[in-house]
Amino acid sequence: MAVGHPDHYETLGVPRDASTEDIRSAYRKLAREYHPDVNKSPGAEDRFKEVSEAYEVLRDDEKRAQYDRPSPPPDAGFRNGGGTRTVDFDDLGDFGDIFGRGGGRGFSRRGGDQEALLELSLEEAARGGRKKITLGDGRDYDVNIPPGVSDGQRIRLAGEGAPGMGGGPRGDLLLRVRVRPHPRFRVDGRDLYTDLPVTPSEAALGATVPVRTLDGASISLKVPPGSSSGRKLRLRGQGMPGGDLYATVMIHVPKKLSEDERKAYERLAAVSGFDPRKERR
Amino acid sequence: MTVTTLTVVDIEVLAHDAGLHPEVCERLIRLGLLDGPPFAVDAASQLARAARLRRDLGLGWSGAVFACELLRRIDDLEAQVRRYNREG
Repeated sequence: MAVGHPDHYETLGVPRDASTEDIRSAYRKLAREYHPDVNKSPGAEDRFKEVSEAYEVLRDDEKRAQYDRPSPPPDAGFRNGGGTRTVDFDDLGDFGDIFGRGGGRGFSRRGGDQEALLELSLEEAARGGRKKITLGDGRDYDVNIPPGVSDGQRIRLAGEGAPGMGGGPRGDLLLRVRVRPHPRFRVDGRDLYTDLPVTPSEAALGATVPVRTLDGASISLKVPPGSSSGRKLRLRGQGMPGGDLYATVMIHVPKKLSEDERKAYERLAAVSGFDPRKERR
Repeated sequence: MTVTTLTVVDIEVLAHDAGLHPEVCERLIRLGLLDGPPFAVDAASQLARAARLRRDLGLGWSGAVFACELLRRIDDLEAQVRRYNREG
């Protein structure tokens, strides 16, 4: 996880007034060139990460505006339009008096905030707890992740950002949480959704079936008789903290039937008057 | 001779290994990314690669499958060239 101040516009090779379309086009071109699945040469993966980070910021109007907003760099000078420009203090005119302490010639300003991406599994996001992270510049942190942290949320480490100017305080380090997609669970707000495969007879007659929750526990869930595919069964309190888990009934049929199964289904078809398409006629 | 070990893999297991939703895996399989079942041992990594290419290069599902097929052919050709160069 690297924290730094690369110029995202330079990374993508676009001017600062580039349109979103130009930015996307530049990103696609570089991504095709440096994508680690395409380019195996050393350094390609790092280059792709830089390009992706730049695109993540510049593709989003809000993030781009925030990035373009002047803020102090790690050392002296202002960050302007994402780049770093050293400004002579004389250029600041009366600003020194505005920000200066004690009304003298001193000038101090709080350091800029820095941002890093913190990737978490859904389990880690739900559980929270402490996680050791190392930034690109070697700084280590033992971060306290609040239980139920959501994708896009920022964890603020106060005073761990860029150093201030003229004795000003350091900025903050913001860890932007990215929750990796989970193969079994989908997240919607505080709720989780999972598919619940059942047999046709379990769906028709009702059954008690095991459901695996996010924390790995197996819970018995009662499937009511007459449950069609798509029916959502709620497991209260088994979602993200404060949310529920919904198991969506998915009726599965065997791809191949044994002789006995085929006969049983044929008997059922002969005696059943059920027509699921009746209401559509 | 290259021997490809085949193993029967449940789609749910495959999806878990690839870090994808089972429906996404089924879609990629329907588009011809994988042969099977049984699936090759590297099936999960192929699925994950297709998903990455789709996400990162802005491809459609079919485009991602096509890109994977081309990359696979390039890998094979490069391996042949390496062998050819070694054998002089």
